[in-house]
Amino acid sequence: MLSIFSKRPCIKCFSETSKILLRCSSQTATSTIERNKDQLKRQIVEYRHVYPEFLPDPKIEYRNLIREKLERADMVARRTQVDIPEFYVGSILAVTSSDRHNPEKPHRFVGICIKREYCGLRASFIVRNMIDHQGIEIMYNMYDPTIHKVEVLRLEKRLDDELLYLRDALPEYSTFDSNMDAEILPEGTPVPINPIKVKLKPRPWLERWERKNLKGIEELDLPERFFKRAKELEKPWEKYDLMKEYMRTIPEEEQIEIFSEVQAELHKLEVQRKKMKRKRVIVKPSKLA
Amino acid sequence: MNQAEVSKLVSQLKTTVNPRLRKFRNPEGPEGRLDKLRKTVTALIKHERIELNYPRADEARMYAERLISDAIRYGDTHKTTMEMADYWLVEKQLIHKLFKVLAPRFQNYDISYTRLIRAPRPYPGPEDLKAVLELRGNPYPSLRPNGSYNRNLIHNVLLEEAKKAYRAKKYAEIAAKIDAVETAVGLNTNSQTDVPENDEVVAKEVEDKSTKEEK
Repeated sequence: MLSIFSKRPCIKCFSETSKILLRCSSQTATSTIERNKDQLKRQIVEYRHVYPEFLPDPKIEYRNLIREKLERADMVARRTQVDIPEFYVGSILAVTSSDRHNPEKPHRFVGICIKREYCGLRASFIVRNMIDHQGIEIMYNMYDPTIHKVEVLRLEKRLDDELLYLRDALPEYSTFDSNMDAEILPEGTPVPINPIKVKLKPRPWLERWERKNLKGIEELDLPERFFKRAKELEKPWEKYDLMKEYMRTIPEEEQIEIFSEVQAELHKLEVQRKKMKRKRVIVKPSKLA
Repeated sequence: MNQAEVSKLVSQLKTTVNPRLRKFRNPEGPEGRLDKLRKTVTALIKHERIELNYPRADEARMYAERLISDAIRYGDTHKTTMEMADYWLVEKQLIHKLFKVLAPRFQNYDISYTRLIRAPRPYPGPEDLKAVLELRGNPYPSLRPNGSYNRNLIHNVLLEEAKKAYRAKKYAEIAAKIDAVETAVGLNTNSQTDVPENDEVVAKEVEDKSTKEEK
Protein backbone atom coordinates (compact mmCIF):
# COMPACT_ATOMS: atom_id res chain seq x y z
CA MET A 1 0.00 0.00 0.00
CA LEU A 2 2.71 2.42 1.01
CA SER A 3 4.65 1.87 -2.13
CA ILE A 4 1.60 2.56 -4.25
CA PHE A 5 0.94 5.82 -2.39
CA SER A 6 4.52 6.85 -2.76
CA LYS A 7 4.43 6.13 -6.48
CA ARG A 8 1.25 8.04 -7.21
CA PRO A 9 2.55 11.56 -6.81
CA CYS A 10 5.55 10.64 -8.92
CA ILE A 11 3.31 9.51 -11.73
CA LYS A 12 1.28 12.68 -11.40
CA CYS A 13 4.41 14.78 -11.48
CA PHE A 14 5.61 12.98 -14.55
CA SER A 15 2.30 13.32 -16.30
CA GLU A 16 2.15 17.03 -15.53
CA THR A 17 5.67 17.69 -16.70
CA SER A 18 5.05 15.64 -19.81
CA LYS A 19 1.91 17.65 -20.46
CA ILE A 20 3.86 20.89 -20.11
CA LEU A 21 6.57 19.53 -22.36
CA LEU A 22 4.00 18.46 -24.90
CA ARG A 23 2.39 21.87 -24.73
CA CYS A 24 5.77 23.54 -25.17
CA SER A 25 6.68 21.35 -28.10
CA SER A 26 3.31 21.92 -29.71
CA GLN A 27 3.72 25.67 -29.21
CA THR A 28 7.17 25.66 -30.79
CA ALA A 29 5.88 23.47 -33.61
CA THR A 30 2.95 25.78 -34.29
CA SER A 31 5.23 28.84 -34.15
CA THR A 32 7.67 27.30 -36.63
CA ILE A 33 4.79 26.33 -38.90
CA GLU A 34 3.43 29.87 -38.70
CA ARG A 35 6.88 31.29 -39.43
CA ASN A 36 7.22 29.00 -42.45
CA LYS A 37 3.76 30.04 -43.62
CA ASP A 38 4.69 33.71 -43.28
CA GLN A 39 7.88 33.14 -45.24
CA LEU A 40 6.00 31.29 -47.97
CA LYS A 41 3.45 34.08 -48.06
CA ARG A 42 6.17 36.70 -48.46
CA GLN A 43 7.82 34.65 -51.22
CA ILE A 44 4.52 34.24 -53.05
CA VAL A 45 3.72 37.93 -52.75
CA GLU A 46 7.13 38.76 -54.29
CA TYR A 47 6.08 36.84 -57.42
CA ARG A 48 3.97 39.82 -58.43
CA HIS A 49 7.07 41.67 -59.63
CA VAL A 50 8.51 38.72 -61.56
CA TYR A 51 5.29 37.42 -63.13
CA PRO A 52 2.96 40.44 -63.34
CA GLU A 53 1.04 38.92 -66.24
CA PHE A 54 -0.31 36.15 -63.99
CA LEU A 55 -2.42 38.74 -62.17
CA PRO A 56 -5.67 39.51 -63.97
CA ASP A 57 -6.81 42.93 -65.08
CA PRO A 58 -8.47 44.42 -61.99
CA LYS A 59 -11.19 46.11 -64.05
CA ILE A 60 -14.36 44.46 -62.81
CA GLU A 61 -16.03 44.13 -66.21
CA TYR A 62 -13.10 42.13 -67.58
CA ARG A 63 -12.95 39.68 -64.70
CA ASN A 64 -13.85 36.07 -65.36
CA LEU A 65 -12.46 33.64 -62.82
CA ILE A 66 -12.74 30.53 -64.99
CA ARG A 67 -11.08 32.13 -68.01
CA GLU A 68 -8.30 33.47 -65.79
CA LYS A 69 -7.69 30.04 -64.33
CA LEU A 70 -7.59 28.38 -67.74
CA GLU A 71 -5.24 31.04 -69.06
CA ARG A 72 -2.90 30.55 -66.11
CA ALA A 73 -2.77 26.82 -66.79
CA ASP A 74 -1.97 27.52 -70.46
CA MET A 75 0.72 30.00 -69.51
CA VAL A 76 2.42 27.51 -67.22
CA ALA A 77 2.18 24.86 -69.93
CA ARG A 78 3.84 27.22 -72.42
CA ARG A 79 6.55 28.09 -69.92
CA THR A 80 7.48 24.42 -69.60
CA GLN A 81 8.17 24.42 -73.37
CA VAL A 82 9.97 27.76 -73.71
CA ASP A 83 12.19 29.27 -71.07
CA ILE A 84 10.85 32.79 -70.39
CA PRO A 85 13.21 34.25 -67.78
CA GLU A 86 12.62 37.05 -65.31
CA PHE A 87 12.99 40.46 -66.96
CA TYR A 88 11.82 44.01 -66.43
CA VAL A 89 11.30 47.18 -68.39
CA GLY A 90 14.86 48.40 -69.02
CA SER A 91 16.40 44.92 -69.32
CA ILE A 92 18.23 44.04 -72.51
CA LEU A 93 16.75 41.02 -74.24
CA ALA A 94 17.54 38.79 -77.18
CA VAL A 95 14.40 37.22 -78.61
CA THR A 96 14.64 34.39 -81.12
CA SER A 97 11.48 33.75 -83.07
CA SER A 98 10.56 32.09 -86.32
CA ASP A 99 9.58 34.30 -89.23
CA ARG A 100 6.74 33.12 -91.46
CA HIS A 101 8.38 34.73 -94.48
CA ASN A 102 11.61 32.86 -93.88
CA PRO A 103 10.67 29.60 -92.17
CA GLU A 104 14.15 28.01 -92.25
CA LYS A 105 15.97 30.72 -90.40
CA PRO A 106 14.96 31.84 -86.91
CA HIS A 107 15.21 35.58 -86.37
CA ARG A 108 17.14 36.94 -83.39
CA PHE A 109 16.48 40.47 -82.25
CA VAL A 110 18.44 42.22 -79.48
CA GLY A 111 17.16 45.34 -77.79
CA ILE A 112 15.91 47.04 -74.67
CA CYS A 113 12.48 46.22 -73.29
CA ILE A 114 10.60 49.52 -73.22
CA LYS A 115 7.14 48.35 -72.22
CA ARG A 116 5.31 45.38 -70.76
CA GLU A 117 1.58 45.36 -71.08
CA TYR A 118 -1.58 43.28 -70.89
CA CYS A 119 -2.11 40.19 -68.79
CA GLY A 120 -2.88 36.53 -69.20
CA LEU A 121 -2.16 34.93 -72.56
CA ARG A 122 -2.30 38.36 -74.21
CA ALA A 123 0.78 39.54 -72.31
CA SER A 124 3.26 41.30 -74.57
CA PHE A 125 6.46 43.31 -74.44
CA ILE A 126 8.12 45.78 -76.81
CA VAL A 127 11.83 45.48 -77.63
CA ARG A 128 13.63 48.46 -79.15
CA ASN A 129 17.01 48.86 -80.87
CA MET A 130 18.70 51.09 -83.45
CA ILE A 131 19.62 49.21 -86.62
CA ASP A 132 21.34 51.10 -89.47
CA HIS A 133 20.44 54.43 -87.80
CA GLN A 134 16.82 53.45 -87.87
CA GLY A 135 14.85 52.87 -84.69
CA ILE A 136 13.28 49.40 -84.77
CA GLU A 137 10.70 48.17 -82.32
CA ILE A 138 9.18 44.71 -82.25
CA MET A 139 6.23 43.81 -80.10
CA TYR A 140 6.31 40.18 -79.04
CA ASN A 141 3.44 38.30 -77.51
CA MET A 142 5.01 36.55 -74.55
CA TYR A 143 3.15 33.27 -75.04
CA ASP A 144 3.36 33.26 -78.82
CA PRO A 145 4.26 29.75 -80.07
CA THR A 146 6.60 31.22 -82.72
CA ILE A 147 8.98 32.42 -80.00
CA HIS A 148 11.89 29.99 -79.65
CA LYS A 149 13.95 31.59 -76.96
CA VAL A 150 14.07 34.67 -74.76
CA GLU A 151 17.52 35.49 -73.34
CA VAL A 152 18.20 38.22 -70.84
CA LEU A 153 21.54 39.79 -71.73
CA ARG A 154 21.49 42.38 -68.98
CA LEU A 155 19.03 42.18 -66.12
CA GLU A 156 18.25 45.63 -64.74
CA LYS A 157 15.49 48.12 -64.12
CA ARG A 158 15.24 51.79 -65.02
CA LEU A 159 13.77 54.66 -63.02
CA ASP A 160 10.46 54.59 -64.93
CA ASP A 161 7.82 51.95 -65.55
CA GLU A 162 7.74 52.66 -69.28
CA LEU A 163 10.60 53.80 -71.51
CA LEU A 164 8.52 55.04 -74.45
CA TYR A 165 10.46 58.29 -74.30
CA LEU A 166 13.43 56.47 -75.85
CA ARG A 167 11.62 57.04 -79.16
CA ASP A 168 12.28 60.75 -78.78
CA ALA A 169 15.70 60.37 -77.17
CA LEU A 170 19.07 60.62 -78.83
CA PRO A 171 19.87 57.42 -80.76
CA GLU A 172 22.80 56.37 -78.57
CA TYR A 173 20.41 55.61 -75.69
CA SER A 174 18.63 52.89 -77.65
CA THR A 175 21.58 51.42 -79.53
CA PHE A 176 22.68 47.98 -78.42
CA ASP A 177 25.18 45.62 -79.96
CA SER A 178 23.40 42.59 -81.39
CA ASN A 179 26.41 40.37 -80.64
CA MET A 180 26.35 41.30 -76.98
CA ASP A 181 27.26 38.66 -74.40
CA ALA A 182 24.97 37.88 -71.50
CA GLU A 183 26.05 39.43 -68.21
CA ILE A 184 25.60 36.98 -65.35
CA LEU A 185 24.62 38.41 -61.99
CA PRO A 186 25.79 36.60 -58.86
CA GLU A 187 23.02 34.52 -57.28
CA GLY A 188 20.81 36.20 -54.69
CA THR A 189 21.62 39.80 -55.63
CA PRO A 190 18.66 42.17 -55.98
CA VAL A 191 17.89 43.42 -59.47
CA PRO A 192 20.06 46.54 -60.04
CA ILE A 193 18.37 49.81 -60.96
CA ASN A 194 20.13 51.79 -63.67
CA PRO A 195 19.95 55.49 -62.69
CA ILE A 196 20.80 56.72 -66.20
CA LYS A 197 19.15 59.98 -67.30
CA VAL A 198 18.30 60.12 -70.98
CA LYS A 199 18.70 63.23 -73.11
CA LEU A 200 15.75 63.94 -75.39
CA LYS A 201 15.95 65.34 -78.89
CA PRO A 202 14.47 68.81 -79.41
CA ARG A 203 10.75 69.02 -80.13
CA PRO A 204 8.55 67.94 -82.00
CA TRP A 205 7.95 64.80 -79.95
CA LEU A 206 5.52 61.91 -80.12
CA GLU A 207 4.11 62.76 -76.69
CA ARG A 208 4.26 65.67 -74.27
CA TRP A 209 6.94 64.24 -72.03
CA GLU A 210 7.07 67.28 -69.77
CA ARG A 211 3.61 66.36 -68.48
CA LYS A 212 4.44 62.75 -67.60
CA ASN A 213 6.49 63.33 -64.46
CA LEU A 214 9.36 61.14 -65.68
CA LYS A 215 12.41 60.42 -63.57
CA GLY A 216 14.69 58.97 -66.23
CA ILE A 217 15.10 62.05 -68.47
CA GLU A 218 17.46 65.00 -68.21
CA GLU A 219 16.05 68.46 -67.58
CA LEU A 220 14.09 69.61 -70.59
CA ASP A 221 15.05 72.69 -72.53
CA LEU A 222 11.58 74.16 -73.09
CA PRO A 223 9.98 77.60 -72.84
CA GLU A 224 8.36 78.41 -69.49
CA ARG A 225 4.78 78.14 -70.82
CA PHE A 226 5.13 74.35 -71.28
CA PHE A 227 5.90 73.80 -67.63
CA LYS A 228 3.16 76.21 -66.63
CA ARG A 229 0.61 74.23 -68.61
CA ALA A 230 1.95 70.95 -67.23
CA LYS A 231 1.50 72.34 -63.73
CA GLU A 232 -2.09 73.32 -64.53
CA LEU A 233 -2.92 69.83 -65.76
CA GLU A 234 -1.41 68.05 -62.77
CA LYS A 235 -3.78 66.05 -60.59
CA PRO A 236 -2.09 66.04 -57.19
CA TRP A 237 -5.24 64.81 -55.42
CA GLU A 238 -5.36 61.59 -57.39
CA LYS A 239 -2.75 59.88 -55.22
CA TYR A 240 -5.07 60.30 -52.21
CA ASP A 241 -7.98 58.55 -53.90
CA LEU A 242 -7.81 55.32 -51.93
CA MET A 243 -10.53 53.57 -53.88
CA LYS A 244 -9.02 54.34 -57.28
CA GLU A 245 -5.77 52.90 -56.00
CA TYR A 246 -7.66 49.83 -54.76
CA MET A 247 -9.39 49.38 -58.11
CA ARG A 248 -6.07 49.46 -59.96
CA THR A 249 -4.57 46.60 -57.95
CA ILE A 250 -5.40 43.04 -56.98
CA PRO A 251 -5.65 42.68 -53.18
CA GLU A 252 -3.04 40.60 -51.41
CA GLU A 253 -5.41 37.77 -50.45
CA GLU A 254 -6.35 37.26 -54.08
CA GLN A 255 -2.73 37.45 -55.23
CA ILE A 256 -1.76 34.73 -52.77
CA GLU A 257 -4.61 32.57 -54.02
CA ILE A 258 -3.54 33.05 -57.64
CA PHE A 259 0.17 32.49 -57.13
CA SER A 260 -0.15 29.57 -54.73
CA GLU A 261 -2.03 27.82 -57.53
CA VAL A 262 0.92 28.06 -59.96
CA GLN A 263 3.75 28.38 -57.42
CA ALA A 264 4.82 24.72 -57.51
CA GLU A 265 5.22 24.71 -61.29
CA LEU A 266 6.95 28.08 -61.44
CA HIS A 267 9.35 27.05 -58.68
CA LYS A 268 10.23 23.88 -60.58
CA LEU A 269 10.97 25.90 -63.71
CA GLU A 270 13.16 28.30 -61.71
CA VAL A 271 15.19 25.44 -60.25
CA GLN A 272 15.64 23.98 -63.73
CA ARG A 273 16.85 27.35 -65.06
CA LYS A 274 19.36 27.67 -62.21
CA LYS A 275 20.76 24.24 -63.04
CA MET A 276 21.15 25.22 -66.71
CA LYS A 277 22.93 28.44 -65.68
CA ARG A 278 25.45 26.52 -63.57
CA LYS A 279 26.11 24.17 -66.46
CA ARG A 280 26.81 27.09 -68.76
CA VAL A 281 29.26 28.57 -66.24
CA ILE A 282 31.23 25.32 -66.11
CA VAL A 283 31.24 24.88 -69.88
CA LYS A 284 32.64 28.32 -70.70
CA PRO A 285 36.32 27.92 -69.70
CA SER A 286 36.63 24.59 -71.54
CA LYS A 287 35.51 26.38 -74.72
CA LEU A 288 38.10 29.09 -74.21
CA ALA A 289 40.83 26.49 -73.74
CA MET B 1 -6.77 44.57 -70.66
CA ASN B 2 -3.95 46.08 -68.74
CA GLN B 3 -1.75 44.77 -66.02
CA ALA B 4 -2.60 45.20 -62.37
CA GLU B 5 -0.47 47.69 -60.47
CA VAL B 6 1.95 45.86 -58.19
CA SER B 7 3.87 48.63 -56.47
CA LYS B 8 1.64 48.72 -53.39
CA LEU B 9 0.00 45.82 -51.57
CA VAL B 10 -3.48 46.32 -50.18
CA SER B 11 -5.72 44.12 -48.04
CA GLN B 12 -8.99 42.92 -49.44
CA LEU B 13 -11.98 44.96 -48.33
CA LYS B 14 -14.64 43.04 -46.46
CA THR B 15 -17.49 45.07 -47.90
CA THR B 16 -18.79 44.86 -51.41
CA VAL B 17 -16.97 47.31 -53.66
CA ASN B 18 -19.09 49.20 -56.17
CA PRO B 19 -18.02 48.58 -59.78
CA ARG B 20 -17.94 52.33 -60.45
CA LEU B 21 -17.21 55.31 -58.24
CA ARG B 22 -19.86 58.02 -57.91
CA LYS B 23 -19.01 61.40 -59.36
CA PHE B 24 -20.82 63.75 -56.92
CA ARG B 25 -20.92 66.55 -59.44
CA ASN B 26 -19.13 69.46 -58.02
CA PRO B 27 -17.96 72.89 -59.20
CA GLU B 28 -14.46 72.02 -58.05
CA GLY B 29 -14.32 68.79 -60.02
CA PRO B 30 -12.79 65.56 -58.74
CA GLU B 31 -10.88 67.41 -56.05
CA GLY B 32 -14.15 68.73 -54.64
CA ARG B 33 -15.54 65.22 -54.66
CA LEU B 34 -12.68 64.01 -52.48
CA ASP B 35 -13.14 67.04 -50.23
CA LYS B 36 -16.77 66.09 -49.63
CA LEU B 37 -15.90 62.50 -48.87
CA ARG B 38 -13.08 63.60 -46.60
CA LYS B 39 -15.50 65.53 -44.42
CA THR B 40 -17.78 62.51 -44.14
CA VAL B 41 -14.93 60.13 -43.28
CA THR B 42 -13.65 62.54 -40.63
CA ALA B 43 -17.13 62.81 -39.10
CA LEU B 44 -17.49 59.02 -39.09
CA ILE B 45 -14.17 58.50 -37.31
CA LYS B 46 -15.04 61.27 -34.85
CA HIS B 47 -18.66 60.44 -33.94
CA GLU B 48 -18.66 56.71 -34.80
CA ARG B 49 -22.28 56.99 -35.98
CA ILE B 50 -23.67 59.50 -38.47
CA GLU B 51 -26.91 59.91 -40.40
CA LEU B 52 -26.63 61.19 -43.98
CA ASN B 53 -27.81 60.69 -47.54
CA TYR B 54 -27.40 57.16 -48.82
CA PRO B 55 -25.08 57.71 -51.86
CA ARG B 56 -22.58 59.69 -49.83
CA ALA B 57 -22.70 57.14 -47.02
CA ASP B 58 -22.14 54.24 -49.42
CA GLU B 59 -19.17 55.99 -51.04
CA ALA B 60 -17.60 57.22 -47.82
CA ARG B 61 -17.91 53.76 -46.34
CA MET B 62 -15.46 52.29 -48.85
CA TYR B 63 -12.95 55.06 -48.20
CA ALA B 64 -13.22 54.65 -44.42
CA GLU B 65 -12.71 50.90 -44.77
CA ARG B 66 -9.62 51.44 -46.90
CA LEU B 67 -8.19 53.94 -44.44
CA ILE B 68 -8.67 51.62 -41.47
CA SER B 69 -7.37 48.55 -43.30
CA ASP B 70 -4.22 50.43 -44.32
CA ALA B 71 -3.77 51.67 -40.74
CA ILE B 72 -3.99 48.06 -39.50
CA ARG B 73 -1.74 46.72 -42.24
CA TYR B 74 1.11 49.24 -42.23
CA GLY B 75 0.83 50.95 -38.82
CA ASP B 76 1.81 54.50 -37.94
CA THR B 77 5.47 54.15 -38.94
CA HIS B 78 4.65 53.83 -42.66
CA LYS B 79 5.10 57.14 -44.44
CA THR B 80 2.46 56.91 -47.17
CA THR B 81 -0.16 55.58 -44.75
CA MET B 82 0.53 58.53 -42.46
CA GLU B 83 0.17 60.93 -45.40
CA MET B 84 -3.16 59.31 -46.26
CA ALA B 85 -4.39 59.65 -42.68
CA ASP B 86 -3.24 63.28 -42.69
CA TYR B 87 -5.23 63.93 -45.86
CA TRP B 88 -8.37 62.01 -44.99
CA LEU B 89 -8.77 63.19 -41.40
CA VAL B 90 -9.40 66.91 -41.41
CA GLU B 91 -9.22 67.13 -37.60
CA LYS B 92 -5.70 66.10 -36.80
CA GLN B 93 -6.32 64.70 -33.32
CA LEU B 94 -8.29 61.93 -35.02
CA ILE B 95 -5.06 60.55 -36.53
CA HIS B 96 -4.17 59.38 -33.02
CA LYS B 97 -7.60 57.81 -32.68
CA LEU B 98 -7.19 55.96 -35.98
CA PHE B 99 -3.85 54.37 -35.10
CA LYS B 100 -4.24 53.94 -31.34
CA VAL B 101 -7.94 53.16 -30.89
CA LEU B 102 -9.47 51.93 -34.13
CA ALA B 103 -6.56 49.89 -35.50
CA PRO B 104 -6.27 47.77 -32.31
CA ARG B 105 -10.07 47.49 -32.10
CA PHE B 106 -10.42 46.08 -35.61
CA GLN B 107 -7.18 44.07 -35.66
CA ASN B 108 -8.82 40.65 -35.49
CA TYR B 109 -12.06 41.45 -37.30
CA ASP B 110 -13.10 39.04 -40.05
CA ILE B 111 -16.03 41.25 -41.02
CA SER B 112 -16.28 44.84 -42.21
CA TYR B 113 -15.29 47.63 -39.85
CA THR B 114 -18.35 49.74 -40.63
CA ARG B 115 -22.07 49.12 -40.81
CA LEU B 116 -24.45 50.82 -43.25
CA ILE B 117 -28.14 50.83 -42.38
CA ARG B 118 -30.87 52.38 -44.48
CA ALA B 119 -32.81 54.98 -42.51
CA PRO B 120 -36.36 56.28 -43.07
CA ARG B 121 -36.67 59.59 -44.88
CA PRO B 122 -38.59 62.46 -43.25
CA TYR B 123 -42.15 62.79 -44.55
CA PRO B 124 -43.17 65.22 -45.89
CA GLY B 125 -39.76 66.45 -46.95
CA PRO B 126 -36.92 65.90 -49.40
CA GLU B 127 -37.06 62.53 -51.12
CA ASP B 128 -33.37 61.67 -50.72
CA LEU B 129 -32.63 58.21 -49.43
CA LYS B 130 -31.17 58.30 -45.95
CA ALA B 131 -28.72 56.01 -44.25
CA VAL B 132 -26.93 55.58 -40.96
CA LEU B 133 -23.21 54.84 -41.18
CA GLU B 134 -21.45 53.62 -38.06
CA LEU B 135 -18.23 52.01 -36.94
CA ARG B 136 -18.59 48.57 -35.45
CA GLY B 137 -17.93 48.29 -31.73
CA ASN B 138 -19.25 51.80 -31.03
CA PRO B 139 -20.59 52.62 -27.54
CA TYR B 140 -24.14 53.51 -28.66
CA PRO B 141 -27.17 51.24 -28.26
CA SER B 142 -27.87 49.01 -31.25
CA LEU B 143 -30.06 50.31 -34.05
CA ARG B 144 -31.28 46.87 -35.04
CA PRO B 145 -34.19 45.24 -33.15
CA ASN B 146 -33.21 42.33 -30.94
CA GLY B 147 -33.86 39.34 -33.13
CA SER B 148 -33.02 36.71 -30.51
CA TYR B 149 -36.68 36.25 -29.37
CA ASN B 150 -39.63 35.85 -31.69
CA ARG B 151 -42.86 34.55 -30.18
CA ASN B 152 -44.19 33.38 -33.52
CA LEU B 153 -41.46 30.79 -33.99
CA ILE B 154 -42.91 27.29 -33.65
CA HIS B 155 -40.78 26.22 -30.69
CA ASN B 156 -41.72 29.41 -28.82
CA VAL B 157 -45.44 28.80 -29.52
CA LEU B 158 -45.14 25.24 -28.23
CA LEU B 159 -43.24 26.34 -25.11
CA GLU B 160 -45.88 28.96 -24.39
CA GLU B 161 -48.63 26.34 -24.65
CA ALA B 162 -46.71 23.95 -22.42
CA LYS B 163 -46.33 26.70 -19.80
CA LYS B 164 -50.07 27.40 -19.92
CA ALA B 165 -50.92 23.71 -19.46
CA TYR B 166 -48.48 23.44 -16.53
CA ARG B 167 -49.99 26.50 -14.86
CA ALA B 168 -53.55 25.18 -15.29
CA LYS B 169 -52.53 21.88 -13.75
CA LYS B 170 -50.95 23.60 -10.75
CA TYR B 171 -54.02 25.82 -10.19
CA ALA B 172 -56.23 22.75 -10.24
CA GLU B 173 -54.04 21.07 -7.60
CA ILE B 174 -54.14 24.14 -5.33
CA ALA B 175 -57.91 24.45 -5.70
CA ALA B 176 -58.25 20.80 -4.74
CA LYS B 177 -56.11 21.42 -1.66
CA ILE B 178 -58.21 24.41 -0.58
CA ASP B 179 -61.37 22.38 -1.04
CA ALA B 180 -59.94 19.63 1.13
CA VAL B 181 -59.07 22.11 3.89
CA GLU B 182 -62.50 23.70 3.78
CA THR B 183 -64.25 20.38 4.09
CA ALA B 184 -61.99 19.55 7.03
CA VAL B 185 -62.97 22.86 8.67
CA GLY B 186 -66.65 22.13 8.14
CA LEU B 187 -66.24 18.82 9.96
CA ASN B 188 -64.00 20.14 12.75
CA THR B 189 -65.87 23.07 14.35
CA ASN B 190 -63.75 22.95 17.53
CA SER B 191 -60.45 23.94 15.95
CA GLN B 192 -61.59 27.28 14.46
CA THR B 193 -58.47 29.15 15.54
CA ASP B 194 -56.24 27.21 13.08
CA VAL B 195 -58.34 27.83 9.99
CA PRO B 196 -57.40 31.45 9.10
CA GLU B 197 -53.69 30.63 9.52
CA ASN B 198 -54.05 27.70 7.10
CA ASP B 199 -55.86 29.87 4.61
CA GLU B 200 -53.14 32.49 4.73
CA VAL B 201 -50.46 29.86 4.15
CA VAL B 202 -52.30 28.48 1.14
CA ALA B 203 -52.80 31.97 -0.29
CA LYS B 204 -49.08 32.69 0.14
CA GLU B 205 -48.20 29.42 -1.58
CA VAL B 206 -50.41 30.29 -4.53
CA GLU B 207 -48.80 33.71 -4.88
CA ASP B 208 -45.28 32.29 -4.70
CA LYS B 209 -45.96 29.67 -7.33
CA SER B 210 -47.61 32.06 -9.71
CA THR B 211 -44.73 34.55 -9.44
CA LYS B 212 -42.17 31.78 -9.97
CA GLU B 213 -43.92 30.54 -13.06
CA GLU B 214 -44.17 34.00 -14.45
CA LYS B 215 -40.48 34.43 -14.00
